[in-house]
Amino acid sequence: METDKLSKVYRSGLKAVDEISIKLENGEIFGFLGPNGAGKSTTIMILTTLLKPTSGRAFVAGFDVVTQAKNVRQNIGYVQQDSTVDEYLTGRENLELQARLNHIPKNVRTKRIDEILEIIELSDRQHETAVTYSGGMRKRLDIGGGLLNMPKVLFLDEPTLGLDIQTRYKIWEYIKKIHSEFGMSIFLTTHYMEEADKLCNNISIIDNGKIKITGSPKELKNALGNEIVVFEIDSETKLDRLVSEIKKTPTVKDVSTNGSVVTVFTTSGDQLTPQIFQQANNLEIKIENISLTKPTLDDVFLSHTGRELREDEGKYDRKKMRERMRRIRA
Amino acid sequence: MTMILDTYTIFWREMKRYKKSRSGILIRLIQPAIWIIVMGNTFASTRPLIQSVGFNGSYIEFMAPGVIMLTAIFTSIFGGVNTLWDRRYGFMNKALVSPVSRSSIALGKMLAISLISTLQSSLILGIALALGVHISNLLVIFPILLTVTVFSLGFSGISVIVAATSKSQETFWGVINFLGMPLFMLSPALFPLELLPSWLAFVARLNPVTYAVLLIRQMMSGTVQLLPVAIEMAVICGFVVIMVALASYVFTREVNKPF
Repeated sequence: METDKLSKVYRSGLKAVDEISIKLENGEIFGFLGPNGAGKSTTIMILTTLLKPTSGRAFVAGFDVVTQAKNVRQNIGYVQQDSTVDEYLTGRENLELQARLNHIPKNVRTKRIDEILEIIELSDRQHETAVTYSGGMRKRLDIGGGLLNMPKVLFLDEPTLGLDIQTRYKIWEYIKKIHSEFGMSIFLTTHYMEEADKLCNNISIIDNGKIKITGSPKELKNALGNEIVVFEIDSETKLDRLVSEIKKTPTVKDVSTNGSVVTVFTTSGDQLTPQIFQQANNLEIKIENISLTKPTLDDVFLSHTGRELREDEGKYDRKKMRERMRRIRA
Repeated sequence: MTMILDTYTIFWREMKRYKKSRSGILIRLIQPAIWIIVMGNTFASTRPLIQSVGFNGSYIEFMAPGVIMLTAIFTSIFGGVNTLWDRRYGFMNKALVSPVSRSSIALGKMLAISLISTLQSSLILGIALALGVHISNLLVIFPILLTVTVFSLGFSGISVIVAATSKSQETFWGVINFLGMPLFMLSPALFPLELLPSWLAFVARLNPVTYAVLLIRQMMSGTVQLLPVAIEMAVICGFVVIMVALASYVFTREVNKPF
């Protein structure tokens, strides 16, 4: 899968995706990370042929998403962010429906559905109406549906959003399991850094429609330095002077401040810590507390996307609407 | 061939859902049942008027075809609303990223709606017969239901068009209610065309519902004549072909836009 300067501008003028170029190796799990409204969903909709790009090109399983949409559709699985389980149908009927939609021949359909039910561990409840399923079971059924046609590329849009931590770990296990069993490429969007860290070979961080950085989780973390020193000082008055002193040390990669809390990304925390004390002492600053940690993907993410909150009103409305409709239907 | 199979897949899904909503089947019968029982008896004394234009039966017998069409109109014109659910809940995207063609989705939905509409109408026909409505020959039930099926296919097209172009439930219901009632009222469903003021009769003649009501009424009362029936069938079929084609086109165009 590959995209070349892919862009999407909505009619409202919003540039949701801005010249994105990414490349997936065969069989890798690629994480697409970004805050809400960063353009993740728009990108996935273009790659799954639901939206046409404004400019640029994208190839999925070797086919152009615009001119060869039908071929693309035959080779992908798409597990949407929100559950698409049909509550009126049983678990098995849901898979049966998706199998028919994907033109899986009648003679292999039953066997394939049995296999998938086995993998997602729903065999024992396959004949119950899906309305009785828990959130985790529905998600498994959704993922199972995406596997029916043995896709070359599987799209997972926020696969663990809104699930509890036990279910989340379970879903990660399933994803690893299906990946080792089927060996397809997986394109996964998430805003859980832990998820990307656990599952992905490579990740891209996207914000405001632009790719900020691409690499393996390890590379990205190392780029920040392999250690972080966080300390809090008693007054902010001489903060700037202290920060500029610290920045002079060659092992320091980056320094950020939040109030009186200073975060230093470095390659040698052990040596830097006493040095910070020394520099603080010289400026007559008292250090209240200090700690030395390893960077997580969260730190990588925040250093590339900034810390400010995102406007996300559209999404809120949609959620509210959906809740309302659930109530009407129930 | 794949087109037919795909259409069947969507049809299969819609029918599964219909079967599992048993309460809905009965609830949707209440309104037409009230119409036939209450209106049928309220206007029983208009029999001389009805007879003056050559209908030899009671008022209930006159309006029974109208109520069958009422059921057909409303079942099929409401039927497309699940298109909106499908787009909200992601089933539509699931179907759109599969190799199924867009027009198969629209066609499958329309066929399912028209079959559901026929089933509902047959229940109302049963109620009418139980209330003592006399029909010329019991075998005529089949061409009556076939007329309902074909006609409903056209109306399901209207429903799918409105659902595909609406972004919200509110818009859908607003437009559908605006369309449904006048189409029913501006027809000889409750009162003979001959007794309407000429301008109303003229408007009614432009309404496809009129031809379906007349056709079913002629079949029920056993007064079928070749020329009028041929005209009625031609109008209905023309209407259906246009609506189905338009619905497939509009649906395909609209679902390719972001929702």
